[in-house]
Amino acid sequence: MSDANKPNPAGSGDVPPQKKADESAAQKAAGSPQPAPVAAGAANAAATPPSAAAPAPAAAPADPKPKVPFSPILTKHINEPDSHTLAHYQARGGYETAKAHIGVTDPGALIKLVDDSGLRGRGGAGFPTGKKWSFLAKGTGKPIYLAVNGDESEPGTFKDRYILEKDPHQLVEGVILTCFAIGSKHAFIYLRGEFILGFQRLDAAVQEAKAKGFVGKKIFGKDVDLTITVVRGAGAYICGEETGMLSSIEGGRGYPKIKPPFPAVSGLFGCPTIVNNVETISAVTHIVKNGAAWHKQWGTEKSPGFKIFCLSGAVKKPGVYEVPLGITMREMIDQYGGGLKDGRKLKAVIPGGLSAPVLTPEMVEKCTLDYESLASLGSMLGSGGITVLDEQVDMISAIYNTMRFYHHESCGQCTPCREGTGWLEKVAHRFHHNEGHQGDVELLGDIAKNMRGRTICVLADAAAMPMQSYLQHFKKDFEAKVKETAFVEKQRTYRDEITPTAKTITATGAGPSALEVGSNQGTQRSGENKDRG
Amino acid sequence: MSPTSHTPNGASPASGQAAASAAAPRRTEFSPERMAKFHDYAEEYPNKRSALMMVLRLAEEEFGSITDEAMEITADLCDVSVAHVQGMVTFYTHFKRPFHGKHRFMVCATLMCALENNTDAALIQIKDRLGIAPGERTADGLFSCEKVECLADCDKPPVVQCDNEHFCSMKGPVLEAYLDKLLKDEGKPADAYKGKAPVEMDPRVPTLPVHYNFEGETEQGARRFDDKDPYLKAGEGALTTDVPGPLATPLTVPVADGVNGKGSTSNGRNGHDRAGGNQVNGKNGAKHV
Repeated sequence: MSDANKPNPAGSGDVPPQKKADESAAQKAAGSPQPAPVAAGAANAAATPPSAAAPAPAAAPADPKPKVPFSPILTKHINEPDSHTLAHYQARGGYETAKAHIGVTDPGALIKLVDDSGLRGRGGAGFPTGKKWSFLAKGTGKPIYLAVNGDESEPGTFKDRYILEKDPHQLVEGVILTCFAIGSKHAFIYLRGEFILGFQRLDAAVQEAKAKGFVGKKIFGKDVDLTITVVRGAGAYICGEETGMLSSIEGGRGYPKIKPPFPAVSGLFGCPTIVNNVETISAVTHIVKNGAAWHKQWGTEKSPGFKIFCLSGAVKKPGVYEVPLGITMREMIDQYGGGLKDGRKLKAVIPGGLSAPVLTPEMVEKCTLDYESLASLGSMLGSGGITVLDEQVDMISAIYNTMRFYHHESCGQCTPCREGTGWLEKVAHRFHHNEGHQGDVELLGDIAKNMRGRTICVLADAAAMPMQSYLQHFKKDFEAKVKETAFVEKQRTYRDEITPTAKTITATGAGPSALEVGSNQGTQRSGENKDRG
Repeated sequence: MSPTSHTPNGASPASGQAAASAAAPRRTEFSPERMAKFHDYAEEYPNKRSALMMVLRLAEEEFGSITDEAMEITADLCDVSVAHVQGMVTFYTHFKRPFHGKHRFMVCATLMCALENNTDAALIQIKDRLGIAPGERTADGLFSCEKVECLADCDKPPVVQCDNEHFCSMKGPVLEAYLDKLLKDEGKPADAYKGKAPVEMDPRVPTLPVHYNFEGETEQGARRFDDKDPYLKAGEGALTTDVPGPLATPLTVPVADGVNGKGSTSNGRNGHDRAGGNQVNGKNGAKHV
């Protein structure tokens, strides 16, 4: 497998060219340094003017921090050959941080360090990591588990793939540090089944670390034990949800569990569990190494640090780009992504994976890439998967495709989600074929509204949010596809007959008074009698 | 650690493979190397049930796909019921099952890949060379094709997985070369599947129906519901009609025609009818009159 990482993929004999993600990344990297420094992995983006100008967006006046030049940290080495090996990692100071801290530093101090750094979860919700760790139930007598979420199932996101395939040792070191901080002796890293190479590389990395005594019994010669288990999923979006993932690790279908109790109190096997994203844990390695202040020099007040963004869609240079939080969306699209393909016009941007509400071009102008800015625009930073939709994209097709995804991926536990995603898909299917019924636009909004907040996990919300935002911003596209039919007309008439509206009641002489004084029981009864009569 | 106390006729689920497995003696465990691996898992995991995901992967390696026999062995090893294992295998879509082809093409059909007709390009190419549309398998069982949801490599569409390998930008000459290689490895001529009728995979297979296309359908105007529509029963027509004209032609098209007919009419299944007409520009806001 290691030869897949060679910079010249043409030499890899029996496999077709462009095999594996990394070969094509390597191709890009091979071609990129001189003319276009922004490679797929953004490894070289450091020295370019765009990133130097990055941390001071005009749209964020509340950020008084001076500009600090940023160079990629998590993705720094991903374009180097053999970057996934232990030798390569140790040559650049790997495992030194863990060695210095394990069994030496006070675990509480490590938690405080991460808390001070302001690191927020990179998986989607953006919950402060240090805070999450401090919620851990203590003194239960049960083992504590760390579960690292590498399911990365949100469409549009592919950042963890690069960490797992290109630099898995920084994740392993992060796991070691995290486990020491939270007092865990067993960590699970759950990868999605589709990460074939990622699983092989991470598994190999854990074995390498085990052989060196960094993982296992008495790690680094100290009285600390740690087991790391790599679990491979098998293709279920829902396992990206933290409790769904825990169910899957426990050997069941990936059904999310009701919260509370939160995993920090009762998670894996009923024991206190911390669930963090691959990118978060990888960042812990660097934060412990360099300190909280170092991490805070980038980003905004409330969203400090750096994040890997995944750019896809109609841009010239799609790929992963690691940038400080708080740069503008425009900068990401135009300077990192190289602008839109073939000079096309922007139609919409999905800012944080498929479940994030879409942004219109006007919103994109004032959008910066941090948790607060996107929240204020009614969307979310999510997992950092930015998809650019150009003017050629039919938004109805896009929402239909999105709804089909959620219908397919709903685990089926909760009725509002299982049925609701199906209904949304069916109605979107009608629109997709220019056969929307009168009232379907309202129907979609109604279904979406009634799905939100009524299920165990947020998959229903994840499906409803994009639908609501599409309805809000692209209502005309929907209305253009409404086709009234005689059948529907008849149905509507029938519906009006059986559920009389105030208007029809007035018209038939029942009078509005019967409705207005409805709270009076006596009147209500007489109203009923009238109806019967 | 004695998971091998298996009664052959114990909890075997109703299966189509009963005849096949009756011929050979029933196996009760994996090969020694995989059993060693299983024991490693059993030590590492807090309980045997939690090793199930990984043991199912072992079963997949051992048998080439997760057969009923593999499920029984897995259930025995992990101390769970066969029903539970079957529930797992049907819940997770990435496990290879017996009704999949030997080479199982999984083409990503989620939005990012589907943009700019990338998914369709790959599917059309596979259909052209192997004669299989999504949800179908070649009659000899060598190849099958599925549309799947996101494979997490969205910057390089279309993404395809086959034979436990991951490929990106899989269309045009790259896919062509790969198909050539697969056919050559199987000792088949390049046009082995030209004009051969495919078979449908097991209807239980959780694939996306063939007509679920992202783009291109609008350019032909409103699509008629066909017998493949998941929301209508076979032979049942659409509830909505616009002009009386189309009613003269049948609303349902025989499956075989729809599947194979390259030049089928506008009310046929349009999964791959547009092989020649990738009008990228035509799809935007094309309104049906």
